[in-house]
Amino acid sequence: MAKHYILFPNYSQGLKLESLLKQKDIKYVISPTPRQLSSSCGISIMYNKEDENAIKNIIIGSSVKINGFFTID
Amino acid sequence: MGDYKKMWQDPNMDIEKHDILCAALPEQFGDIYLTQKNRPDAMNYFNYVVAEIHGARIMELEKYKKEGGSVVGTFCVFVPDEVILATKAIGVGLCSGSQFWIEDGEKVLPRNICPLVKAFAGAKIGLTCPYFQSCDMIVGETTCDAKKKAWEIMDEYMPVHVMELPQMKREKNIKEWEDEIKIFINRMEELTGNKVTVESLKKGIDVCNRKRRALKRLYDLRKNIPSPISGLDALLVSQVAFSDDPERFIEKTEELCDELEERVKELKPNGKKRIMVTGTPMALPNWKLHSIVEGLNAEIVVEETCTGTRYFENEVSTEGDTIDELVRNMAERYMDINCACFTPNEGRTEDIVKYAEEYNIDGVIYYNLSFCHTYAIEYEKIEKVLKEKDIPLLKIETDYSEEDTGQIKTRVEAFLEMI
Repeated sequence: MAKHYILFPNYSQGLKLESLLKQKDIKYVISPTPRQLSSSCGISIMYNKEDENAIKNIIIGSSVKINGFFTID
Repeated sequence: MGDYKKMWQDPNMDIEKHDILCAALPEQFGDIYLTQKNRPDAMNYFNYVVAEIHGARIMELEKYKKEGGSVVGTFCVFVPDEVILATKAIGVGLCSGSQFWIEDGEKVLPRNICPLVKAFAGAKIGLTCPYFQSCDMIVGETTCDAKKKAWEIMDEYMPVHVMELPQMKREKNIKEWEDEIKIFINRMEELTGNKVTVESLKKGIDVCNRKRRALKRLYDLRKNIPSPISGLDALLVSQVAFSDDPERFIEKTEELCDELEERVKELKPNGKKRIMVTGTPMALPNWKLHSIVEGLNAEIVVEETCTGTRYFENEVSTEGDTIDELVRNMAERYMDINCACFTPNEGRTEDIVKYAEEYNIDGVIYYNLSFCHTYAIEYEKIEKVLKEKDIPLLKIETDYSEEDTGQIKTRVEAFLEMI
């Protein structure tokens, strides 16, 4: 099953987005960043595909910096 | 995620080798933890700690050191964190739960000693653990022969302070432990330049007691049928307790417990066998036994181990107006821990019988790290008492390797069918 991740330049950006997702009641899972996506260690956020647009809108309206949305099949 | 390679270079790491460990973590954690169904949302914090275990927390330690603070590493529930906090130092329980470090450990230690000791030695001499590299000193103790002698080897690589833990529980032994705590206070004062005062020690005791209370609250919730949290998740919380910032840990654990309290209202019995694990500690990232057991029709609802009840049971009294009185209170609390290093150690048998009732246990798994003699020998006593009480018992002796996973699974499966 495909898994969807958001990657960040550093952990504090990830935590910033986490608190916004919490406020909006959007389900997410904090996960170690899969090696296929980056050789840097640290957190990424796993999300449900159906929430992708809502999350994108949240990011646009915020100061959160991300490295992008990624999918692993 | 962040690029921590520069930070790791500062504390003098073997970056290339350490990367092998980093590369394995996402898959290992993903397979064991993130495949669990219906986890509490509040476990996200603990996912974060694991994902950032060699990142964000190390950054905090390095920042604290740059500001003039000290960091000390510990390995055992007998080392009094109260003293570390009272001297404004940060204490971190060091990871020693991975097969990754065994090979390097065996370069300086015999093969036939416990994997936990080989792992911590390997993590240090292989320069593959940023916690070790961040520590100004490590604090050892004399809870077993392997550790006791390993400190001499560790001392060649970094400053080590060893606390001599008495191995009987007579009044004179409690006094000896008081003396050891006082010696430790002096050593910590020298290291940090901060004097321990009645006020600072009381504050340290208060933080540690609140941390114990948060863990006790979590464990009490596991008494519910079914438990509102998996054994894997509860184990992770206990493991994180050793190295996380104590105030943040308390806050996040209380948040988790709030969520679990809500869950308990909705849960219905699930027919899973309720298992107690008793025995030797499971240091991060040792999730081997829990993942095997919970992959079957069972849930682990209590650990009578150092990464379980022995870490949080009983509080230190804050009664008293002198350092001597507070040290006495600490000595009494710590000497009440029922570790197999004591002779005799009847308190442990009593604890296991009490927990079996309190947690409504269907069976007990005696978890023995290979070559841990004190626990291996104590099995005989525990077996006898549990037989009398008609409580099923299975002994698993193992290390960190994956070679015997299939065999253990078969044995646990048969055990679950029998009970």
